[in-house]
Amino acid sequence: MKNMLIAALVLWTQWAMAATDSTTIFVSQILHDSEKTYAIQQLVARQDPQTFALLNAINNKKLYLFNNEAVTTGEKNGTSSYEIYSLYPKNELLVNKNGQPLHTSIDALTVVEISRADRLLLNGILPILELFSPEPAKRMLAYGQLKDSHAPHRIEMLQVALARETNTDALRAGKDILYAIQLNTTTDAQTAKRYIDSLAENWGDNAPVFLSAYAKSKKPFADYAGQKASSLERKYDYLQKVQNLFSGLSLGSILILIALGLSIVYGLAGIINMAHGEFLMIGAYTTYCIQTLFTEVLKVPYTDLLFIISLPLSFLVAGLLGLLLERLVVRHLYARPLESLLATWGVSLILIQTARSLFGDLTAVKTPAFLSGGLAVSPHLVLPYNRIFIIGLTALIVLLTYLMLYKTRIGLQIRAVTQNRNMSACLGIDTKKVAALTFFFGSGLAGIAGCAMTLIGNVVPDMGQTYIVDSFLVVVTGGVGKIVGTIVSGLGIGFFTKILEAFFQAVYGKVCILLFIMLFMQYKPKGLFPYKGRLAED
Amino acid sequence: MEKKIYYLLFIAFFALLLPAGHLMGWVSINTISLWGRYFCFAIAALGIDLIWGYTGILSMCQAFFFCLGSYGIAMHMLLKTSGSALPEFMVWNKVESLPFFWVPFQSFGLTLVLCLVIPSLLAFVIGYVLFRSRIKGVYMAIITQALALAMWLLFLRNETGLGGTNGLTDFKTLLGLPLSNTYVKLGLYLMSLLLLCVAYFACYQITHSKFGKVLQAIRDSESRVSFTAYKVMDYKLAVFVVAALLAAIGGMLYAPQTGIITPGRMDVKASVEMVMWVALGGRGKLKGAVAGALLVNFLYSICTSLFPDSWLYILGFLFVITVLFFDKGFVGLMDNLTKRKEPCY
Repeated sequence: MKNMLIAALVLWTQWAMAATDSTTIFVSQILHDSEKTYAIQQLVARQDPQTFALLNAINNKKLYLFNNEAVTTGEKNGTSSYEIYSLYPKNELLVNKNGQPLHTSIDALTVVEISRADRLLLNGILPILELFSPEPAKRMLAYGQLKDSHAPHRIEMLQVALARETNTDALRAGKDILYAIQLNTTTDAQTAKRYIDSLAENWGDNAPVFLSAYAKSKKPFADYAGQKASSLERKYDYLQKVQNLFSGLSLGSILILIALGLSIVYGLAGIINMAHGEFLMIGAYTTYCIQTLFTEVLKVPYTDLLFIISLPLSFLVAGLLGLLLERLVVRHLYARPLESLLATWGVSLILIQTARSLFGDLTAVKTPAFLSGGLAVSPHLVLPYNRIFIIGLTALIVLLTYLMLYKTRIGLQIRAVTQNRNMSACLGIDTKKVAALTFFFGSGLAGIAGCAMTLIGNVVPDMGQTYIVDSFLVVVTGGVGKIVGTIVSGLGIGFFTKILEAFFQAVYGKVCILLFIMLFMQYKPKGLFPYKGRLAED
Repeated sequence: MEKKIYYLLFIAFFALLLPAGHLMGWVSINTISLWGRYFCFAIAALGIDLIWGYTGILSMCQAFFFCLGSYGIAMHMLLKTSGSALPEFMVWNKVESLPFFWVPFQSFGLTLVLCLVIPSLLAFVIGYVLFRSRIKGVYMAIITQALALAMWLLFLRNETGLGGTNGLTDFKTLLGLPLSNTYVKLGLYLMSLLLLCVAYFACYQITHSKFGKVLQAIRDSESRVSFTAYKVMDYKLAVFVVAALLAAIGGMLYAPQTGIITPGRMDVKASVEMVMWVALGGRGKLKGAVAGALLVNFLYSICTSLFPDSWLYILGFLFVITVLFFDKGFVGLMDNLTKRKEPCY
């Protein structure tokens, strides 16, 4: 297959050499003469791939003159300067003496005016023109549009374009179409089998569709194509399941991260902290503020380090604000869960409105470079790095929480107060201090969760509300004040949500989860891991 | 006897003075309608007081029952307005035939019955499942809250056939009477007031009956009540259904006076706010529920027009301050002030 592509390319180059001279004349006519219609007509008729970049620029109304050379603008750099690409005879990025991309303001370029009538001349070859577009997304669309094309000339162009293709996704999409066309036009049985194999091996998005369409025909190896198609679909379904499990894991770990703090605080102090979600929001805004402070105010160039330092800082900020809330409001409400629910709901309203008036409705944090992109296990299974990071972070934090609760003195005190407040007080534990510390710790955990959430979404004032009810469900299902319960039910709810979402839509999945939890509570009204014996009494 | 004067004053002010003020041209019809809507909320608040204030069950899905009533009556009005054609939003959503559950709402009588039966039935099922497994306190609050969230999400969808995010609106007539007519609005207002009084009277009877005493006993110590051979679950279930019914009645009166019902009325926030009316007014007192609902909503109308950005601050502070300092709510505060002079024992 590759040989054929190269042969096509060689043929085209030879033919192109002969025609170059007159093409150059037409190009210069377009750039400098007032009468351009004839020149454009000629270039359109010739369909010389070397001129496609130029014609594309005409079509996009971005043809300029720069040092008497045809250029077009690329990526924007800063407010008004652009990268510049030369168009003819070579299509490449212009660089300055140091080899850096050359940035020019739009004023330094002379616009080449092309009338609308002249631009319309391009319509006939637009499908082909797009094959040579500088943007991979447009090229992929263009490949897709050639699906039903049988004109040999277009297939030739497709081959030429694929020989120049650099983007892997676009290359796969293009090959998908090319093989499919060739499979449908070939008359030789063995060649057909080879194309079927190539289609399956390339495994583009449309491959199963093409193969099953071919399988319905009466052509040779139709059954073979059918088998290949169903095997591709099976593989795809399998990968979808893996993807679903992964999303479930990721959702579950977010829920755990939020519910962990809630569960500890409720178990220890009998406080339903409805403002817990707002500490998540505070953590997210801390991350945003650190980024803004360093890049906008102190003018330090952005580095990934900023995100790393945001993690402990958002723990600290959210934790301290949590401590403040505990001192001002919550300490009056210990062991009055329903009242604390209403009071902290009020606090959450105030916090949301404060965030809204300070930061406006929508802000976003830049994702660190080392977390963008994903781990491509296969072309159809990409595990985003940010999700993997969140899963890892959750595991680390659960581990740290475990160590804190079970291996330190303060952890021992927290557990003691959780089990029996009065008895602990009798034994000399300062229960108020322990409760305050727990609240600090729980709010801090929510802050870290918020910092992590900036990786997967925008920072909005009511971002905490999205997760708060779900994370309470996690606490209730897991059994209050139990780390193991929180982990198991968090993962369980995460997995079930994603699995049900695969069958139903997201909303119905959620309703199903709720019904499931209500049924579950019939058998385990105190959650998965209830306290036993005397501790279980109200 | 002294207390009866307050009731008479209340009724005289709202049943005579306000309508008379309108007829004289001092009070605009919008103000009248606004108070009519507050009365609807107050009816629902009475239900919340029964279940939370008297029985100690914090249910966070009362707003959902409220909306069930509203949606039912809104469906009926929408069908009457569009006549034989489909309601407009269905045409936009490319629904070709009337969904089956819309059909019974063609008739007014059936609508009334359904608006009351559906919420009670749902409340019965939900309550049965929850109370049977002895879910109470915080667990109850969280699960009903999650339920409200799930139902809200369901109602937001277009394919559930209830108008999605935009809700139901643009209804013109009820029983053939044009809703934009001033006298119809006045009639609805008086109807709401009447029903509020009836509901208050009914709740008063309930709370002063033996049934009501048992409810309060459950609130104070559930296990002791069950040890004395009362079937706690039956009592809880009954009061849960009554509360849902009251919420639905409020909702039914609300939709025609507002002219729109959206899922926004039943989200988690709305449910918590409804509970908050009762807390602010004074829970465990029927007066408190009514006063709370009227006061908070009146305050809301004033504050959102005077300083629109700070309403959430005010509401938040009210939440915190009430819970921290005025456990008995507004009515409790009033009682405290008037009783100051009495000797303490």
